[in-house]
Amino acid sequence: MIKSLDPRITRAEINLENTIEPLRDLDQWETYEVFHQKKRGDQHMHVGIVHAPNAEMAFIFGKEQFGRRGLSVNIWVVKTRDVYVSDYEDSDIYDTVPEKNYREAGGYKVMDKINKFKKGF
Amino acid sequence: MYGNAYIDPNDKATAMTAGEDPKKLEEFEARIARGEKIEPMDWMPKEYRKQLVRMIEQHGHSEIIGALPEGTWITRAPGFRRKLALMAKVQDEVGHAQLLYSAAETLGKSREAMINDLITGKSKYSNVFNYPAFTWADACIIAWLIDAGAIINQVANAKGSYGPYCRALDRICTEESFHLKYGHDNVVTLATGTPKQREMVQAALTRWWPPIMHFFGPSDKISNHTEILMRWKVKMATNDDMRQQFLNMYVPKIWDLGLTLPDENLKKNAEGKWEYTEPDWEEFKRVINGGGPCNAERLAVRRNAEERGRWVREALNTTESKYIVPLA
Amino acid sequence: MNQNTTDAIKELLYKMADDLLIIGHRNSEWTGLGPILEEDISFSSMAQDKIGQAQALYVLLNELGEQEPDTVAFMRNANQFHNSQLVELPNGEYDFSLVRHFLFDHADQLRFEALANSSYEPLAKVARKVKGELKYHVFHGNTWFVKLGSANEESHNRMQAAFNEAWNYALGMFEPSKNEDLLIGEGIFEGEETLQEKWLANITPYIIKAGISIPSSETWKPVYGGRVGNHTNHLSPLVEEMSEVFRYDPTAEW
Repeated sequence: MIKSLDPRITRAEINLENTIEPLRDLDQWETYEVFHQKKRGDQHMHVGIVHAPNAEMAFIFGKEQFGRRGLSVNIWVVKTRDVYVSDYEDSDIYDTVPEKNYREAGGYKVMDKINKFKKGF
Repeated sequence: MYGNAYIDPNDKATAMTAGEDPKKLEEFEARIARGEKIEPMDWMPKEYRKQLVRMIEQHGHSEIIGALPEGTWITRAPGFRRKLALMAKVQDEVGHAQLLYSAAETLGKSREAMINDLITGKSKYSNVFNYPAFTWADACIIAWLIDAGAIINQVANAKGSYGPYCRALDRICTEESFHLKYGHDNVVTLATGTPKQREMVQAALTRWWPPIMHFFGPSDKISNHTEILMRWKVKMATNDDMRQQFLNMYVPKIWDLGLTLPDENLKKNAEGKWEYTEPDWEEFKRVINGGGPCNAERLAVRRNAEERGRWVREALNTTESKYIVPLA
Repeated sequence: MNQNTTDAIKELLYKMADDLLIIGHRNSEWTGLGPILEEDISFSSMAQDKIGQAQALYVLLNELGEQEPDTVAFMRNANQFHNSQLVELPNGEYDFSLVRHFLFDHADQLRFEALANSSYEPLAKVARKVKGELKYHVFHGNTWFVKLGSANEESHNRMQAAFNEAWNYALGMFEPSKNEDLLIGEGIFEGEETLQEKWLANITPYIIKAGISIPSSETWKPVYGGRVGNHTNHLSPLVEEMSEVFRYDPTAEW
């Protein structure tokens, strides 16, 4: 039995030569993605993952792992496997021809017309 | 809290990029050179993945094992303020392990596999945690100086190339600043306190100095291997540079308190470099390979903790559970 | 405030503060050794909350003329503690720790809820401040208790055995005080009997949901004595351990 400097360890009566079965797959449960809202009015932001056996516990864990210093007012948790993820390899899918200024504010310049019109008075 | 990752000096540089698609490798290196981060689903060289898994995993192990020497004093911390702060600090270390294992998981190694490699002794963790915390003052020295060393390392690594690791480190560094302040406050309190307290903290400092000098690891062999790791922003600073930075920041603070360090050769030379007696690297190797005063206890305690928790974890496992690699 | 009222308030504060300190201390023994990292963190947070709440109550005692919180917590002997015996029992395995946490925290939440309207305003103020922490503790306790009670045969059996072991000690939390009438009469606290009734009403649905059975009421034997300083032989080593460093040099600031 380990006689430790840590009284907690000594009390646990641990055999120094203990061997255990390796942890099996899913021993640590599956993962949930955690989203926090810092304050009302903000977007929820992804902050990380927790391993949890169900959604309530994912919330219980997510609150303390990512919000224990009081930095959130609301949490979402969602199973990792339920998130559809786009591929970085396809990042050119986000490229689009730059000539679409009809949907940008900067695509509309009316002052020229107004000034020309005013000169015509 | 953290110890520097132990990189095997015998790894061969030539093997690092063997068999990789040269075009993809070029794009990958260009991305890093531009200062962009690599994300989990990106193409990456096998060796990049392997080195990162090893490094992040070791870092995670160091946190969970590091919780033990300090945890030694949780039930005995003197007074409310210290008791609460130590609990919060050790809790943070457990939290850091969680963050780091999560980052390593995104590279494809499951947490179960990492824990298995820890408890069988296959993976390493920071050598310093194989030393005992004999007194309350040892826990204070750990909290100040080991965490100080950790911050130097982690701040450097936070500028690395792998996105999930950097994000975990950003969060960790914020918490570490509390640890450092807490540790310094404790050491100052002891050093400026009663004669018994002063004696305690001096003894602890003397005991911890050799492991602290070991903390950043031996001088890096300047090999192609190291160069590639630095080009890939896996390794961000040399061990000697980090050690110099540490000595420069903390030796004056230690001397300010009138405490002494057990190395008569320790001094800053005319060029502003710290000189010191070369640490005993044979001892370092002996401890890393299992011969330290606490190696066996640390692993036995982890095995015991995993075993005692197994029924809890198994009971809540549902048949429809399915593991997939976390996203970020 | 007359002396009798002050004494009654002190007695109430001592038993609450000692309960919180000792259970917080016990629960902190799991830090770094919990069943899974995430739960380790959650359990440690709650242990910190408990010890923080204890400290807030020792501050109130200090304002009523008792010594500094650190002195009160770290310099008394076991027989000067007023905690219920439930909280001083060793942690055992996670089953017992969780069952105790579930039973204790329901009582704790109800006690503070009642005290939020206490005529003794300093205590009412503390009670209102800790409301959110307790809500989390109870939600955590309920979730774990119900899930493990009903998960598989091993977890059910373990939780039932732990429940049986804890039950009479849990009833001991409601040990009546000699000051019940005064506290109730002056609107300071609703009294242990009322508290126990509410507690039973609150925990029962979760116990049923967990598939755990409550021992039949004729077998109940509340373990009293803690409130007047009678303790199991587990408390003395706990207190010695807790104060080891503090007592190493009592003249020092730590």
